[in-house]
Amino acid sequence: MRLSALVKTLLAAVVAGAMAGTAGAQSVLNVASGGSQNMVDYVTDYLGPLFESRNSRWKVRVVGTGPGDAGSQAILEKLAAQVGSDAWDTDVVVINQLKTTEMVESGLLSTYRSEIGTGSLATRDTVRLALGTDVDGYVMPMFHSQTAIAYNPDLVPTPPASFDELKAWVEAHPGAFGYNGIKNGMSGVAFTAAWMYAYAGNTDQIMNGPYDPAIKDTWDQALADLRAFNEHVSFTPGNAGTLDMLNRGEIVMGPVWVDMFHTWQADGRLAPNLKLTLPEPGMPGQPYYYAIPTKAANRDAAKAFIELATSPEVQAEGIVNRFNWYPGIDAEHVQDALDPQVWTKIFLDVTPQDLASKGKPFPLGPFFTEIKEAYEQKVSN
Amino acid sequence: MSVSQVFGGVLRGLILGLIAFAIFGPIANMLLWTVAEVWYYPHKLPLEWGFSFWERVFRPQGNARLSLVNSIFIALLTVVVSLAIAIPAGLALGRGRLPFRSLFLLLFLLPQAFPSLAVHMNIARIFYSLGLNGTYAGVVLVHTIQGLVFSVWISTAAFAAVDRELEEAARNMGAGPFRVFQTVTLPLALPGILASAIFVFLISLDEFTGTYFVGVPDITTLPLLLFTASMEGNYQIASITALILLIPSIAFMLAVEKFLKAEVLAKVGT
Amino acid sequence: MKTVDRQGLAAIVLMMPALVTLCVLFLYPLGYSLLWAFRNEEQDTWTLANFAKSFDFYSTDIIFTVLIVTVSTVLIGVCSILIAGYLALGENRVAVLILRWLYRWPLFIPFIVAGQLMRTFLAKNGMMNNILVSGGVIEPLQAVSFLDWRGIVVTFVWKQTPFVTLLLAGAIATLDRSTIEAARNLGARRFRVLLEIVVPQVSTTLMVGLILSYVLMMSVLSVPLMINAQSPTMITVDMAWRINSYGDYEVANALGFISYAMTAVVAWIYLRQGIRQDGSPT
Repeated sequence: MRLSALVKTLLAAVVAGAMAGTAGAQSVLNVASGGSQNMVDYVTDYLGPLFESRNSRWKVRVVGTGPGDAGSQAILEKLAAQVGSDAWDTDVVVINQLKTTEMVESGLLSTYRSEIGTGSLATRDTVRLALGTDVDGYVMPMFHSQTAIAYNPDLVPTPPASFDELKAWVEAHPGAFGYNGIKNGMSGVAFTAAWMYAYAGNTDQIMNGPYDPAIKDTWDQALADLRAFNEHVSFTPGNAGTLDMLNRGEIVMGPVWVDMFHTWQADGRLAPNLKLTLPEPGMPGQPYYYAIPTKAANRDAAKAFIELATSPEVQAEGIVNRFNWYPGIDAEHVQDALDPQVWTKIFLDVTPQDLASKGKPFPLGPFFTEIKEAYEQKVSN
Repeated sequence: MSVSQVFGGVLRGLILGLIAFAIFGPIANMLLWTVAEVWYYPHKLPLEWGFSFWERVFRPQGNARLSLVNSIFIALLTVVVSLAIAIPAGLALGRGRLPFRSLFLLLFLLPQAFPSLAVHMNIARIFYSLGLNGTYAGVVLVHTIQGLVFSVWISTAAFAAVDRELEEAARNMGAGPFRVFQTVTLPLALPGILASAIFVFLISLDEFTGTYFVGVPDITTLPLLLFTASMEGNYQIASITALILLIPSIAFMLAVEKFLKAEVLAKVGT
Repeated sequence: MKTVDRQGLAAIVLMMPALVTLCVLFLYPLGYSLLWAFRNEEQDTWTLANFAKSFDFYSTDIIFTVLIVTVSTVLIGVCSILIAGYLALGENRVAVLILRWLYRWPLFIPFIVAGQLMRTFLAKNGMMNNILVSGGVIEPLQAVSFLDWRGIVVTFVWKQTPFVTLLLAGAIATLDRSTIEAARNLGARRFRVLLEIVVPQVSTTLMVGLILSYVLMMSVLSVPLMINAQSPTMITVDMAWRINSYGDYEVANALGFISYAMTAVVAWIYLRQGIRQDGSPT
């Protein structure tokens, strides 16, 4: 009796020790994030530690793959390279719209939105459609962002209210407007898309489809005008480059991401007097999506991570308050958890009404690619 | 002193001053950025100074520490791999009676004769199919090929500069070929081999293009960190990283003649 | 005889690791890049379409690449001849010492660091213009940004001149000084001595240094990316863009092929020059 009791206790101790061992050993949740450095910082400095503090077994490891299509393309290639294996090394991906559509179409992502508690909090159309492709169930928006024209009100007292006015202003002030072309970050791409919305015609079809390969042949005039416009423009080295040149007084106007603008201003990296405006007919914005690869090794933890990331309190504190993005989930769920002052700050220059009427999506996938190629062929070359 | 001499002296000083400005201006500008906290137009100097960005770069959860460790680890591994390849090759080219010797020497110059970017992107593609992309092994191999011509040529020169009579003497005293190599040839060639090791270390530390295609996004080294920070407009972080990379480069520049002895240098490429 | 064969064999065995590395990591991808330039992956055929697209999209950049690299090479040559020449012929010992200490600083500074230095230094309101304005050399309104193709040239010249100068100074130091002294004693001006006596004797070293610099600049990605990634820029930027944004290795390799061709032209000029010199009656 005694002996068997002893053995039992010992066994129990060993088992408990082993359990404690596994509980103590940390598992790693791998996050791959496209987009600018601030998105990587968001996971490194805020979301990752928060998730770790609530799930002590997990350690979050994030790799940033860079801005624009290139950054999300890197994630696509990383996943595609592992198609043959059973457990992929990436659990959560943060990707842009264009590459999300390609990843959904090639079966690299899995549906999960209905399986997490916050899935019903996001109802905007970007949750179901990305550049015209059905992505319903595969994605939760991390945030929405918007491009706008930043300007120095000391030098430009009345900013252009439309693209026509902008064009006239740029011709009158050569070199004072700057953007980053299409090769170096999305704010320049957004400006190019907005130009096409303003001047290429068929705006609604370019945004919402259906795709028609003949449309691109009608763009020559708009592209030639953009080429002429570019003669009076300073080119900047990237999304951040536009902000930097504004800050250094080298340009006085240029398209920027609203969130970066606010973050830089809060950091003291951007002169406090600069302001934003959204000219007619509007400029594109985009969400970045959280998605889970088809064969993610830690699917359950990935779901928990995204659930936390899209909860109202995290969206309010992390996304809006600390990093100045517009929330990914519907605004009404976030507003309650937020200081009203913060709310007014991010909507100061670009009002919710502006966003509703002049916040556009990026073009439909195939049109989008054609616009970029046409730019290289007919505008920059 | 004549007027023309004074004039010449002033002109000489002016030109030297201009050269000094051209060389040190950009470096001074970078140093300024490493301690600038708030700096915007139209201010010609930073509005606030401090080291808060240094803390940001070296914070435990940031990726600068990891990049630094990665960079040094990769550079050391690259040196080991390069020497393992270059010492036997240098021995064969510098000592042995290799047929078509000069052809082989030229062969190693070939990677220098083609724009390397086009080769690198295809290495990346081949490495993808081998599962080497995003691994330390992959990055080390890319760095090794970059440094190959230097490691092979310098160690060849180092072995060629060893006095053959000393080896003969050792052999006459009954030492076997391996023992001769171990006790005579290698120690005498060591300074040159050390120089090639330092060269390879620096090349690996500074390498950008290969890592950009093969290592990213899984492996970040200091040059990539610098690039990302610079493109994001984080000039402070970029400048601090640049400073870290600058120190070994300049130290080597100042010491290069001590490592590369004239008699070895004279035999490089011959 | 037999021992020689064994030694030769041993030497080849010792060479093997280096040769294998060279083949696998250089010759194989090089061959790949040459072939892929003519491939159409989807249709599994050979084609020239990649070149057509390269010229259609990037002809300006191709021309600018040639211009940037050629101008840089020429400037590097001029600067390094002047510096190395003064080091050899300068009469003010202090000035020579200072210059010797000065010119080498950028020697081992990596391109990416040089790019970062210049990016902030050459900007419109960067340190260079600020100092020029403060010194009254230019008016604030005259300040222009050099962050375009000129910035790339400046960065290349800044970074590569010390390398070529180092080679040249080494070569000049080994020259027989008697002809130089003789010419000086006959009253020839230093500049003429440099151009007519010194430079011809070290022209091989100069050419080797310049060609190495030319090839190196042709493949630098970080500097054009950081200084100016917009058109017109260098084709290295376009290669990276095709691959990173579209996964398009075909057009990227066609551009790579074009960069080989540009290098080949220089190599050909050099070799022709060499033959002509050998065949000349002097």
